[in-house]
Amino acid sequence: MSHLELPLVFFTVLAQAAIGAVLISGLRQYACEGPAGDVRREWMFASGLLGLGLVASLFHLGHPLGAPMAIRHLGTAWLSREVLGTGLFLVLTVAGIATAGERIGKGLVVAAGIVGLLAVFSMGMTYAPPAFPAVNNALPLVFFLLTAIMLGSALAALFSPEEKRGGMRAVLTTALVVGLVLYLVVPCVWLSGGTVMAATGRAWGGSVLYWGHIVVGFAIPLAMLWKARRVTPALVVLLLVGELLGRAAFFADTVHTAANLGGLY
Amino acid sequence: MKKQYAFYVDAERCIGCFTCAMACKNQYHQENTVVWRDVYDLKKGIFPHRERAFYSLACNHCENPTCLNVCPVKAYTKREEDGIVVHHQDRCIGCGNCIRSCPYGAPRYNPVLKKAEKCSFCWQRIDAGLKPACVQSCPVSALQIVELSELDETGLTQFPPGFPRFPQLNPSVRFRLPRLPKFVRRENA
Repeated sequence: MSHLELPLVFFTVLAQAAIGAVLISGLRQYACEGPAGDVRREWMFASGLLGLGLVASLFHLGHPLGAPMAIRHLGTAWLSREVLGTGLFLVLTVAGIATAGERIGKGLVVAAGIVGLLAVFSMGMTYAPPAFPAVNNALPLVFFLLTAIMLGSALAALFSPEEKRGGMRAVLTTALVVGLVLYLVVPCVWLSGGTVMAATGRAWGGSVLYWGHIVVGFAIPLAMLWKARRVTPALVVLLLVGELLGRAAFFADTVHTAANLGGLY
Repeated sequence: MKKQYAFYVDAERCIGCFTCAMACKNQYHQENTVVWRDVYDLKKGIFPHRERAFYSLACNHCENPTCLNVCPVKAYTKREEDGIVVHHQDRCIGCGNCIRSCPYGAPRYNPVLKKAEKCSFCWQRIDAGLKPACVQSCPVSALQIVELSELDETGLTQFPPGFPRFPQLNPSVRFRLPRLPKFVRRENA
């Protein structure tokens, strides 16, 4: 979208990581037999990530003190819904931490999961405006869900009891393979689109950020998982760096319609 | 149909002199990097002639404006009386969502005020019974304002080549296309 938009890069990736971690944690607690794992620390880590992301998002605003006003237009503005959704999600995770026993309460897990998914949906709609034909569709939502599942399952694996780590690793490996194929195919499909969409495909194909995402965020983690057969903190850091590079490419290398005014569309 | 003012861009008359863009600058003294109206030449793929053709473009004051729909703080309103889309800078928090979302690139970021801004259709001049500065300044009357519910001229188009087609926004702008230049060859002379 022509600028690196670093605050938005950090906000979207960290928020999606937090939402993914809470979702996968909830599934691990209630959809699988056996011990729940260190859920209080896990949710504290997730809410910490989300808090960091929300702080980062303030740097994106020309007037950060006006941030609370950003929920004024819930009627049509997906950005307002995104802000409300992530705020509510943070409240629910904090409530989960405060009331955590061996597990987080089922009601809170379900509520946080639903609100988190709605927040990711709102993010997907916010960053799919008509001005960017290449992503004026469901792609941002798919990209963001993938980020949530990849980083969420990787983080959840770190806080998981030993007997459930295999399941977390399987989710992560599947998400990585799907993500790698998707990110390699999508720019190729764009090349056969209209002028602006094709320009986006060429910009992504020539972008260091895009290829950094492919290598650091997919190829190396898949090789590490294949070799070590477990999720390590180093792998999680690598995945996070990869997603940050990919999100930076999303914002910096997607071409705006107005860039071609006077030319054929 | 509600009253809706629109810009009438006559590409047959436009000579690409940029007087409209300069008049806008003179009227509002925007910051260096901020442009509310600009003149775009038609690329060779559309108009492959030595004689050039141009579109003078600014905010299109759409019937269904993306900027208004995506703004999280309701900094945009659409005037009931004439359909002009007004940006209220006092409400803007500088999130840039309108700048990212408008497919016509109308809202721009003011790096000094750290807020968005865009063409106002000179609504203060309209209320005083005057024409917008760009329209008044055009030396060849290539830029005019029209009221869409009363416009009955034929041969106009809303989405000419070189202008993004977004019918769901219904931009309030109409174009008269440039005629192809007349070729005079030596053997015909």
